[in-house]
Amino acid sequence: MKKKISRRDFLKLAGASAATGAALTGCGPSSRFVVREPYTQMPEYALIGESTFYATTCRECAAGCGLIVRTFQGRAIKVEGNKNNPVNLGKTCARGQATLQGLYNPDRVTDPLNQGRRKTLGTDGMNWDDAIKVVSDALANTDPAGIGFLLGMAPDHLFDLVSDLTAGIGAPAPVRYGALSAFEARATLVKAAENVLGQSGLPFFDLANAELTFSFGANFLETWLSPVAYTRGFSKMRKQGKRGYLVQFEPRMSQTGAKADEWIPVRPGTEGMVALALGKLIAESKKQTVPRAFVNVDVKAVAKESDVDEEKLHYLADLFADADRALAIPGGAALGQSNGLGTAEAVLALDALANNFGQPGGVFLSPAAPTEDNVHRPASLQEMAVFINKMNTGEIKTLLIHGVNPVFELPKSLGFEAALKNVPLVISFSTFPDETAILSDYIFPDHHGLESWGYQRVATGTSQSTLSGAQPVVSPFYNTQSTADVLLAASAIAGGKLASVLPFKDEVEYIQAQLIPLIENKDANFNAGEINSFSAYFQQFGGWWTNEAALLAPTQNTLNETLSVESPTYEGEGDFFLVPFVSPVLGEAGANKPSLQEVPDPTTTVMWNSWVEINPETAHEFGIKSGDIIKIVSNVGVIETSAYLYPAIRPDTIAIPFGQGHKAYGRYAAGRGVNPFDLLGLKFNAAGDIAFAGMKVQIIKTGKKFELARMESEIGVYGEGLGEE
Amino acid sequence: MKPIDLNIIGAKGAIAEEAEGKWGMAIDEDLCTGCQACVAACAMENNISFVGEEDAAYGRTMHWIRIERFWEGEYPDVRTTSFQPMLCQQCGHAPCEPVCPVFATVHSQADELNLQVYNRCVGTRYCGNNCPYQVRAFNWRDYERPEPLNNQLNPDVTVRQRGVMEKCTFCIQRIHQAEDTAKSEGRELQDGEFDPACAQACPADAIVFGRVDDPDSKVSQLSRQKRGVKHLEDLATLPRITYLKES
Repeated sequence: MKKKISRRDFLKLAGASAATGAALTGCGPSSRFVVREPYTQMPEYALIGESTFYATTCRECAAGCGLIVRTFQGRAIKVEGNKNNPVNLGKTCARGQATLQGLYNPDRVTDPLNQGRRKTLGTDGMNWDDAIKVVSDALANTDPAGIGFLLGMAPDHLFDLVSDLTAGIGAPAPVRYGALSAFEARATLVKAAENVLGQSGLPFFDLANAELTFSFGANFLETWLSPVAYTRGFSKMRKQGKRGYLVQFEPRMSQTGAKADEWIPVRPGTEGMVALALGKLIAESKKQTVPRAFVNVDVKAVAKESDVDEEKLHYLADLFADADRALAIPGGAALGQSNGLGTAEAVLALDALANNFGQPGGVFLSPAAPTEDNVHRPASLQEMAVFINKMNTGEIKTLLIHGVNPVFELPKSLGFEAALKNVPLVISFSTFPDETAILSDYIFPDHHGLESWGYQRVATGTSQSTLSGAQPVVSPFYNTQSTADVLLAASAIAGGKLASVLPFKDEVEYIQAQLIPLIENKDANFNAGEINSFSAYFQQFGGWWTNEAALLAPTQNTLNETLSVESPTYEGEGDFFLVPFVSPVLGEAGANKPSLQEVPDPTTTVMWNSWVEINPETAHEFGIKSGDIIKIVSNVGVIETSAYLYPAIRPDTIAIPFGQGHKAYGRYAAGRGVNPFDLLGLKFNAAGDIAFAGMKVQIIKTGKKFELARMESEIGVYGEGLGEE
Repeated sequence: MKPIDLNIIGAKGAIAEEAEGKWGMAIDEDLCTGCQACVAACAMENNISFVGEEDAAYGRTMHWIRIERFWEGEYPDVRTTSFQPMLCQQCGHAPCEPVCPVFATVHSQADELNLQVYNRCVGTRYCGNNCPYQVRAFNWRDYERPEPLNNQLNPDVTVRQRGVMEKCTFCIQRIHQAEDTAKSEGRELQDGEFDPACAQACPADAIVFGRVDDPDSKVSQLSRQKRGVKHLEDLATLPRITYLKES
């Protein structure tokens, strides 16, 4: 059957199962996409001058926010939040808004390429039949044990498909990674939940109903776990009858810290000790017996080590003890320390002390995902180190990479770039010419997220069990192919075991097969008797979710076990603690979107570049002025960037945003700023997360100057701009 | 500065007539997290150009809305002032209007909004100089938008060129579309039926938009709160945006 089925035909047919089955038989991959035709033949739902709206899922991070994309005569015009999706309820963040500049980015990979590990993006185009043959041969001719799949945090349907593929042929399971998961210290949080809450998984913090919240490093208004959902929680927390009060413990005031009522600048790595000391004082304040968890702590010693004086600790403990609904949240840089796991446990123990498990304004376990709940967790950096070691020893013969840019998103000291040279065949499925794609043998570009089918399990952020659905909102702009379709076609050509593992015609059929178990559950946002209607509704609603809250109450209570948080140890030598943080605006992959580059950073108002934050007092001591280029030296690397005199950072700490410092990734990202991952040494905490905020570094004045583009005026800020100080 | 007593200068009657306005906003600074979603949403909806690092450093970004914050105090008792979204206040008595020599900056009687008529504008920038809120953006160049980024341009919003002043319109294209829809369905426009791009995106629900001439609308109810203030009220510009201070 030669006739290609356009998407609108497909949608027409979707309701009638027999017709769909017949019409699609024999079609190759991606036949479900639109064939571009002149607009003289208008689809019946398209009226000139009227917009068409499609529900899909955002792929700028893995939170799984629902989007409604306005399209106008085949072009995507504007992204809005999906009001029905329980994660974001109609809202979006800045990164979600800018996703269209990824879709229409002038620097996308337009065709499958024989890249040949050139220094710049190759021009040696291929046709897709040859490309699929390359993948097919790679899968068929490599010993299954030598096949390595490295995937990003989204999309989940591809992860499931690859998991089925690798399990079927006896290859190692795919490894998922994303820089955000490292900065969130997800592995640590999950492990702490297992130890303290009695179940491994991401805890859900009911910020919306908390009267008092102690946040230990959790930057939940920026990039942490599900920022849009947590921002909604924050907003409700402020609006409730008695305005909620937020205290933020962190060495560098984040955007979240800026919204807090009190900012406590603790010494990096001592957050957990502070939590334990507070636990003891809170119990005393409540006139309770101090639970065994907190008995061993020496409050005086903690005050000295953390740089929070004893009086302040007493004040905070009284505050917590007197609150009706008190909540403590561990996250971010507090867990990215050598003692991070202990810190996470100590903070969760405060929740146990507040007796808020399963209570409004307290701690819950996120609802189980609708399908295959056990596969959420990304690899910790320690697991990535094991993977890279396999690359170096030649164990991995064929590496297939999708949805992640490890050359940029891993610490340089892990040596991913060098390890790539030891892998005989590297295939990238990247939509953009990122650093990893450039160093690959082949680039077989996937569609952009807005051109793709798929689904994303919602790991946390809502009380309902949610599967966000994705569908193409426009036809593919370039000669790209869905990676799922490429893998299915490649397996089919390879024949034998490969073909039998994935007996699916195309990506959509695979997704439908995964949705079938959901049809049974009738207590959901829609019901349908059979899969074709079900998947049509799934697209229309932008996903599937339960009507009732499915939060779980933690069962365990560890207050009777002794907790201890050892003193932090720091990697490297130097006078300054280094706190890298994810740029709240750019996230891990926003640097190639020009409008996002021009959105000012919330706390510094800097645009288009990197900077290093230094306390003005310290800067004065070192003779550093705003805009002076500073060399930052760690035990593994050196970077140079402009100084921003940041009043809200400890004098012994410097901070650098992550998000810039690309060497490739298109014209708007490449050659701009620096990557703090170049500085990180390899120290891990007990859960395998890297101690990214546990570094000590030197700073050296270079004598060079580069004025940052910032929205704020420097005049009047600490006497600058008014002639010599 | 001492507030001007409008009774003394004899302007009370004239101003009171226009004081109410039609469309307005209430922005809750206690809720605004400074996340910049509104800034990005506005840029995407209104075809706002990006200017690049060098021009951005000269303060030539084209944003129609920005988030202001200032530092207060010194370490360790340092904090930022509340994040404050600043956009055109759609003043009832707009200082930008009388200075325009070509009537490019005019008041719309129908919508009670400040209009910027791009094809009248000759780029004197008097309006920008006279705006006490500094919310007008001037096109210093024809900013490049390389193919295929232009595919995303919103067909409902004019693309501006060099030498033209621009500013927030309260997403007038959305206002008109909602009004047309209501009219064609033979009904009144409901409060909350539509939002401008910034309010629609705001994850904290800090920006609320609606009819300020309807005392029951959500925006009117919020604006009446005790913590509501109008910026630079002393200038008698009659701003249509009420800011709710951090409590």
